[in-house]
Amino acid sequence: MRTGLLALQASLAISLLSTPSPAEEAVGWITSYEEALQEARRTGKPIFLEFRCAP
Amino acid sequence: MLTKAGTKRGDLLRQYVPARIVRMDGIDIGLFDYDRYNTLYFFILNADEHIYMRYGGRDARSPTAYLNLESLELALEQGLELHRLYRAGKIDRKPRPAAKYPRDVPELHKRTTGAGRCVECHLIGDLENVQRELDGALDKLSQMFRSPDIRTLGIELDVPRGLAAAQAAKAAAAAGMQAGDTITHLNGKRVWTFGDLQWEYDRVNRRAKTIQLRVERGGKSVDLDIDLPDFWWLTDIGYRNWSVDPRVYFNSEPLTAAEKIAQGFDPDGFACRVTHIDRVAELLGNHELAVGDVVYAVDGKTRDEIANTAELFLKLRTQAGSRHVLQIVRNGERLETSLKTDRMSFRK
Repeated sequence: MRTGLLALQASLAISLLSTPSPAEEAVGWITSYEEALQEARRTGKPIFLEFRCAP
Repeated sequence: MLTKAGTKRGDLLRQYVPARIVRMDGIDIGLFDYDRYNTLYFFILNADEHIYMRYGGRDARSPTAYLNLESLELALEQGLELHRLYRAGKIDRKPRPAAKYPRDVPELHKRTTGAGRCVECHLIGDLENVQRELDGALDKLSQMFRSPDIRTLGIELDVPRGLAAAQAAKAAAAAGMQAGDTITHLNGKRVWTFGDLQWEYDRVNRRAKTIQLRVERGGKSVDLDIDLPDFWWLTDIGYRNWSVDPRVYFNSEPLTAAEKIAQGFDPDGFACRVTHIDRVAELLGNHELAVGDVVYAVDGKTRDEIANTAELFLKLRTQAGSRHVLQIVRNGERLETSLKTDRMSFRK
């Protein structure tokens, strides 16, 4: 399980989560499901919801 | 990189509310049902909690077998289009499944939130099955052998292109599937991603004999009736470490029909040849089987409609931690020997 998690992070998650340089615009990941729902209601945007085992 | 300004993935993601959940304590696991042995899993939904699609899925080969940044971009694009259609009133809201929270599963609550521990995804999967076993409601065919492998049907996807088939062989080819076909429906349910396809495939009754796939080929829809092979649901579940999966500490292969007849066994029975012994069996004294032994009966039973080997019979029909008498043939001699299964204690 642990090995799989590390491999996965290497191939996908790290590329999603890398710390942005000053030239990059960070995406603000919300860590509360209820807050995500509220933000979706406020903005009219869909939600991209990720479940992951805690690293 | 998804977060970089001006890139396709970054621009797509900025049209979403991105949320990451690492604790499942307050999550409706009835709404967000998925195979918990995925280390990463995604849903695209809206503020009404209408789920447009899933993204994720894995098989026994690797947790990343179906994760790919190009197919993720494709899913993000499709999700935005579905959201536009929903807001335009062109997609009906799905009925919401019954709510279920981790605290509603007694074994899960007892061993996580009730003990001050975090509710992790794999613990949900495992302890829901432990609870089902305690309640006498565990269906091992569907709940222990979760997420059957579409490659058993001969479907090899071109993963970066979502549900486009790179190759079609075996049952899929026999039904008319061709390389380049894009799967759009399984048994009438729209699927957009491998995550959708695997989830719908997992919901197929394990005793079903056929499934229907609709594919898009050259701009036209084509329906394919696929005959499911025997044991289509059987996959390598070793990586899951289910508590409800009896540890037998040996691997086997079924004898052929000709071998069974030649050796005087039940031709429809589950006689199997031992191919591997786990050293744990020697260390803990669970059994004295050896590679090459033929196991032809368990506690006097020689056949079962859902098991093609004695090994599978033990996994499906017995409880972890139970003791059994095996009838075997070793070097031409018929013998009896005992076997004790173990229960995996699943800890992080």
